Amino acid sequence: MTYSDIKIITASPEDFEINRNELALRLHTDRNSVLALPDPCVSAFGSAVRYKCAYIRTPVRLSEGICDFGFMRIPGRSLYKNLTGCSEAFVMAFTTGIAVDRLLARLNITSQAEHFIVDALSSAAIESFCDYACGIISKDTQCVPRFSPGYGDLDITFQEPLLSRLSARETLGITLNSAYLMTPVKSITAIMGIKNTQEDRT
Amino acid sequence: MKKITDLIKEKRVYFDGGTGTVLQSMGLPPGRPPELWNIEQPEKIISLHRAYFDAGCNIVKTNTFGVNRCKFENYRELIRAGIDCAKKAAQGREEAYVAFDIGPTGRLLEPLGDLSFDEAVSVFADNVKTAAECGADLVLIETMNDSYETKAAVLAVKENCDLPVFVTNVYDASGKLMTGADPLAMTAMLEGLRVDALGMNCSLGPDKMLEIIGQFREYSSTPVIVNPNAGLPEVRDGRTVFNIGADEFSDYMVRLAEGGACILGGCCGTTPEFIAKTIEKTKNLPYIYPDEKNITVVSSYTHGVVIGSDPVLIGERINPTGKSKLKAALRSGDLNYILNEAIKQSETGAHVLDVNVGLPEINETEMMLRCVSAIQAVSDLPLQIDSTKPDTLAASLRMYNGKAFVNSVNGTEDSMNAVLPIVQRYGGVLIALTIDESGIPDNAADRVRVAERIIERAAEYGIKKKDIVVDPLALTISSNPESAVITLEAVRMLGERGIRTSLGISNISFGLPKRELITATFYANALQCGLNCAIMNPFSEVMMNTFYTYRALHGLDKGCTDYIAYASADSAEPEKKPAADNGSLHTSVVKGLKEQAVSYAAALLNDISPLDVINLHIVPALNEIGEAFEKKKAYLPQLLMSAEAASAAFEEVKKRIPADKTDKSKAIVLATVKGDIHDIGKNIVKVLMESYGFTVYDLGRDVPPESILECALQNSCKLVGLSALMTTTVPAMAETIELLKKHDTDFTVMVGGAVLNQEYADMIGADYYGADAMDSVRFAQRYYDKK
Repeated sequence: MTYSDIKIITASPEDFEINRNELALRLHTDRNSVLALPDPCVSAFGSAVRYKCAYIRTPVRLSEGICDFGFMRIPGRSLYKNLTGCSEAFVMAFTTGIAVDRLLARLNITSQAEHFIVDALSSAAIESFCDYACGIISKDTQCVPRFSPGYGDLDITFQEPLLSRLSARETLGITLNSAYLMTPVKSITAIMGIKNTQEDRT
Repeated sequence: MKKITDLIKEKRVYFDGGTGTVLQSMGLPPGRPPELWNIEQPEKIISLHRAYFDAGCNIVKTNTFGVNRCKFENYRELIRAGIDCAKKAAQGREEAYVAFDIGPTGRLLEPLGDLSFDEAVSVFADNVKTAAECGADLVLIETMNDSYETKAAVLAVKENCDLPVFVTNVYDASGKLMTGADPLAMTAMLEGLRVDALGMNCSLGPDKMLEIIGQFREYSSTPVIVNPNAGLPEVRDGRTVFNIGADEFSDYMVRLAEGGACILGGCCGTTPEFIAKTIEKTKNLPYIYPDEKNITVVSSYTHGVVIGSDPVLIGERINPTGKSKLKAALRSGDLNYILNEAIKQSETGAHVLDVNVGLPEINETEMMLRCVSAIQAVSDLPLQIDSTKPDTLAASLRMYNGKAFVNSVNGTEDSMNAVLPIVQRYGGVLIALTIDESGIPDNAADRVRVAERIIERAAEYGIKKKDIVVDPLALTISSNPESAVITLEAVRMLGERGIRTSLGISNISFGLPKRELITATFYANALQCGLNCAIMNPFSEVMMNTFYTYRALHGLDKGCTDYIAYASADSAEPEKKPAADNGSLHTSVVKGLKEQAVSYAAALLNDISPLDVINLHIVPALNEIGEAFEKKKAYLPQLLMSAEAASAAFEEVKKRIPADKTDKSKAIVLATVKGDIHDIGKNIVKVLMESYGFTVYDLGRDVPPESILECALQNSCKLVGLSALMTTTVPAMAETIELLKKHDTDFTVMVGGAVLNQEYADMIGADYYGADAMDSVRFAQRYYDKK
């Protein structure tokens, strides 16, 4: 079942730039040597990637150490602290699409060097897409930094209700394996609290 | 009441619309599984179904979409209750059917996911058995966005009940499933599995489905189902709603019916009103039942390849006959070699890959299953499953993701009795060899007669003529000068009878010098006679020349674009090769230029010994880039590119060293420990080690301690490298070290990975902590220098 309140954002590689610091970090290089990425790697990734994000805007109630989204109740300090001062949040999932997984599987056979480079490129790209999409999503609101399962004490098992609420299998093609890791591998789930306005507070 | 499969032959029938949409309006909270209401609030589920039957639909979907044993312990109870609700609503009505609804498991199948194909079939089979007991009229497999999971669900139905099976998949705006398949590929696979109706649902509104329906009309001989969403979600007056209303929706449904949709209904956002209006507007339109499409298609999980006037190349490189390296790879289970052959053939322009792993000393079925799965992870070309063993064919066709070529059946009773039922069950395009109990006929007319007999017998199994491609057998002209003429005549005669043809082209020149000259000319002649497919070597330049020029000359290559691209790539090739006086092996390795490094190594080997090429050129170059890396003047990608260039040059050098002189004294066993699936760090170390001439026994990832010990003992290798990326798997690393040391204190274990540091390494009893890949190589060098 796809809920009618789920919104989708797609993007092409031309829509945003991949954060060079992030890329340098993943490549274990300095920022300038990123320029020398081999063309076949960049073009193979560009042909494979299909950026897509699904998100909802949902109320969240913080009480007695629990963040209650209605469809999931998350105990623990990390997210609670992050969402303090918020009574609504965006619940989001992002992916590069399954063709990137296939590309990485192929490169894992043909060239470890290209595999390493494209893996780094994909990781940096999905982070940059998150930044780009969050910019669109949070327009007209004041948001706290996004927070993902796996950070702090926010257990990765919460990816299950989160992805289910976003119909992520249908909307994005994201599935979880038995260890709660996502496929496509370059996928991210996150929650981004919307700060209460002055009016809300009064 | 008529069977639903009979009803759809006579008239347009209608599915219901959205389930979740209506249940939410009845108070189902977001995030609450709707299936729980089958038990908690059955009266509401019954009223949902009644509302749809009242609107005029013929088939309601049971409220069981998300039910399976992975998600609900009481799945059987939920299924029984769901079917019971639908049957109560259908009671006393004419032409009212209950479709047992199956949705995706929520997990992705191997090789990209972690759910095995057999496990997926078993999950669906449990559902199907319960549904069949409860008296559902048909099964609807819906909202599937992966072709492989779709196949698992269809097989579960076919293997466990006799109910009709309908299938709808989720296509995106580009007309593809999330995992890549287009309508041609899905239609080919599903018709091969003999589903009763197929089509699309969810994700798109009827407007977008209009853009796709034409493809189904063109390819499908099976009734097509269209169950769209009510458009896309949008915000209106602060509420999010689907953007197409019942009036607009039903207008589009008229156009979809006119475009060839036989079964109409709705998905998310649609309500009984949408269905009632759709029925009202379409019930008097002429009913278009699909005609039989005479197209021959093999498919993968992304696309179909049509066997017709445009010649199809079937790559023959994964067949051990006469290939010593492939034989060695099969014996040692080295899938990497096989996968490289698959990827190279894909890149060279093959359309289909033949896979034959038959060697007397290996378990052919087991190896075929491993190869098919692994090749489908790295290549999207359809495969030709090539085996003389019916068991191997059956097991591989069952798990193949798509509709495969099946190589082969022949005209003997034994062969037809064994192979035809397999293709009947799993689908496929069958290669039929014109040989029978009397042998290979010595004239074309008799070969055609054998072909026609196979086609007749196949029809008894419901296998259509279009799904048989006849191979009239190319036999070498060195033993019979007439054999090419006979084969060419047979190809022509078969074509005249509307029978598709294929040939193993290279047999024609067996036993002759400069075989390619004969083979390529024969190929051109066969194409001229109407040959549809050739099993051939796509690495052969003359064969590819023939293929591209034939297409250009016969109006099959519009604007000669493929020919020009092929010819341009060919003429650019010499410039890639370095001139003897420009650059060196040393700089090629330092700069990470693989092809140049190989050329320079080959040139140097004409003048100096293999050992000198290694010691005077490759190793100093590697040391230079290694030192630059350690001083942070070069970075990991550059180091890896150099290592690969060095390894490629090293391979060239090894060709000149007799096999028994290969130095295996410097070796290391590498593995990512049990429970950990991250192998990128370990792979980097492997590349670097190999570039320095170490023999690497790579055990891959998620390796149990016992396997690591076994490999080390088997190869008498006392140096072991272990990798782990997750904190949760470091205990497995400690366990491995303990096992190794317990067996022999002489084992030296080096560890590395993102979660480790010196302190951790000391704690778990490792001998060395490799901070990075280069550091690991240096340690290994010191280890062997001391020996």
